[in-house]
Amino acid sequence: MCGLAGLARAPGGGGVSAEILDRMAGALRHRGPDGCGRYAGPRVGLAHVRLSIIDVAGGAQPLGNEDGSVLVVYNGEVYNYLELRTELSAAGHRFRTRSDTEVLVHAYEQWGTGMLGRLNGQFAFAIYDRRTETVLLARDRFGVRPLFYAIADGDLFFASEAKALFASGGVEAAPDFVGLDQVFTFWAARPPWTVFRGVHSIEPGCFAVWREGALRHGRYYALEYPEARDEPPDAGPALGHLLGSSVALRLRSDVPVGGYLSGGLDSSISCALAARESPFPVRTFSVTFDDPQLDEREFQLLVAAQLHSHHFVRAIGPGDVAGVFPDVVWHAESPLVRTAPAPMYLLAQLAREHDIKVVLTGEGSDELFLGYDLFKETALRLFCLRQPQSRSRPRLFDRLYPYLDSRGRHGDFWRRSFLDAGAPDDLLFSHLPRFLLTSRIKDFYSADLRATLAQTDPLEDLRASLPASFSTWSPLNRAAYLEMVTLLSPYLLSAQGDRMSLAHGVEGRYPFLDHRLFEFAARLPTGSKLRGLREKAILRRWAQDVVPPAVHRRPKQPYRAPDIPAFFSPEPVEYVRDLLDERSLTRSGLFEPQAVAGLVRRCRAGAATGFRENQALVAIVSAELWHRQFIDSAASVRTAPDLVPDVALEDGLPAVS
Amino acid sequence: MDQPDILVRTRAYVHETFLYMRPGFALGDGDRLLQRGVIDSMGVMELIGFLRSEFGVVVADEDITEQNLGTLADIARYVAAKHRNGGPHPTGD
Repeated sequence: MCGLAGLARAPGGGGVSAEILDRMAGALRHRGPDGCGRYAGPRVGLAHVRLSIIDVAGGAQPLGNEDGSVLVVYNGEVYNYLELRTELSAAGHRFRTRSDTEVLVHAYEQWGTGMLGRLNGQFAFAIYDRRTETVLLARDRFGVRPLFYAIADGDLFFASEAKALFASGGVEAAPDFVGLDQVFTFWAARPPWTVFRGVHSIEPGCFAVWREGALRHGRYYALEYPEARDEPPDAGPALGHLLGSSVALRLRSDVPVGGYLSGGLDSSISCALAARESPFPVRTFSVTFDDPQLDEREFQLLVAAQLHSHHFVRAIGPGDVAGVFPDVVWHAESPLVRTAPAPMYLLAQLAREHDIKVVLTGEGSDELFLGYDLFKETALRLFCLRQPQSRSRPRLFDRLYPYLDSRGRHGDFWRRSFLDAGAPDDLLFSHLPRFLLTSRIKDFYSADLRATLAQTDPLEDLRASLPASFSTWSPLNRAAYLEMVTLLSPYLLSAQGDRMSLAHGVEGRYPFLDHRLFEFAARLPTGSKLRGLREKAILRRWAQDVVPPAVHRRPKQPYRAPDIPAFFSPEPVEYVRDLLDERSLTRSGLFEPQAVAGLVRRCRAGAATGFRENQALVAIVSAELWHRQFIDSAASVRTAPDLVPDVALEDGLPAVS
Repeated sequence: MDQPDILVRTRAYVHETFLYMRPGFALGDGDRLLQRGVIDSMGVMELIGFLRSEFGVVVADEDITEQNLGTLADIARYVAAKHRNGGPHPTGD
């Protein structure tokens, strides 16, 4: 895995200095500690930091085609690169390396943007075509790998992380209040929005072409749910075949591959399949928690024992989350509403300490196979609203979220909170309880921020962005789509995924996010996935001989981490006290100091135990950290290592040394 | 303890506990606490703890209903009735 950056001048603009490119690459060094390279041309510059995984010796970037007229910088993996290479070789392309990177330049020459639909992988890249003076930016289907851009003074800047844009000196780090309001509604800004003014994210499944000073956008992949009425008779074996193929492709690597093991069904499946394919014992990595409500070690150990894996554990104890949280926010580049990325940051560190640069991980399965309680909640709300007078139906809500504090999980108020959260004809029906709950964070907004956002409605913006076919899908498929676009891509795969693992130069690979598997799952009847209140039915059925019985039987337990208790014991950790000080809050201007003082008082007293106050505290602490790290100070100064490029290209020189 | 007194103390508690971040929020005694976003189901549990420590009223599971606890006025009426019907339960605290 790697980091990329670059810029393209406006027509008539000057050249791109190596010094700017090195600054941008320097801000991304954590993503690619194994090497770096750049191309500094008269109109376009490309920079790259490399984590060597495939063709360790020959895959340095920027990398070009036969005559150097097409250059690429690339972050990610194209798993079917061997098949594409064979096809391209047959079409007459000559390859000089064994890397998947080189496949991209020849695929571009052969098919143009039509190449994108042929790639099976997780990627973000920039291709500079010197013949046409165009730059193509593209991102994978589900948004595993990030790609940001900004247009400033007519120039296009792009990079894997926003901090590299700021390090260029050409893009200012300023808050985007609409993006921030999305974080406090959906958990993350929704691409193309970000929390930085003028900085945009290429949307998953999309590309953009820069030509003559203008950026034109296109989509090559859209999520569709052509749900069948009946489950195909061969659905089980077909699922097994796809999963096996997906894992096998994701084991293509010239370095050892490990696995994250949460103890749940999905990571257990991916680790088990990896163990089957690998001739050596796999290495598995887990976090454990002191709090038994969060801890899953019992199940992790069962799976590790069955797989005979070399199992490594990072125990998350008092002080650990707070200790790394400032770094977590720096890498996530966004306020957060949960601390859950922090243990993932420590888990990646653990993998790296044991010389693992590539890990398989189970994200995506809950979205494909309706694993979350939110889907059950949607089905139950519809069931109850069909007979509003029924007194027995709402009692089923008491069976949801069994991992939460049982005191608040039953009775009139619990049930009513689901039934009052929105009407079934609302396009966002499934997610309104979550969005409305998350939006309680806004109770802490300052008067100025409220005034700034007076005309902003993130829910209405989301409704307006939905694809035309959305309203034809079943309620559960609508819910699955919303989960993909509001949470999986912008939060789970970024703040909890890419940004945390690449902070330590570790690449996550996601077997459940093979697009063939997504399309298979999207065609299944929803009853094959959520059967009654049993989640992931078809996957569970298939996996019964793959994972230990106890793991197979256990209900879904979402991964969580301590929120308020991570920062108060009962006094706040020092930097939190400092951040939540009235003067500090007034300076950043996001939250009302008196309201925050009330929250701090309740945290100190141990009274703030509900969702609302936990998410508010994390949101406020992270937003203040974010503001200090990116807005108050020049973000570029934090990471500025000296770079000595392995590849230094200038215009007119051969593309591949 | 009479109903108006219970109402005053409960109103102050709700403002201090659930509305401290919304000082300008106008909450009528007949406003529904859940629907107006004042309280959620975890908040109800916290409120029940308050009724126990402040008024010595133990709220049985079957009493956790919107009819009894849906508004400030409902709560005052419910607590006052509990007092009339046998007085406060020992809190055990």
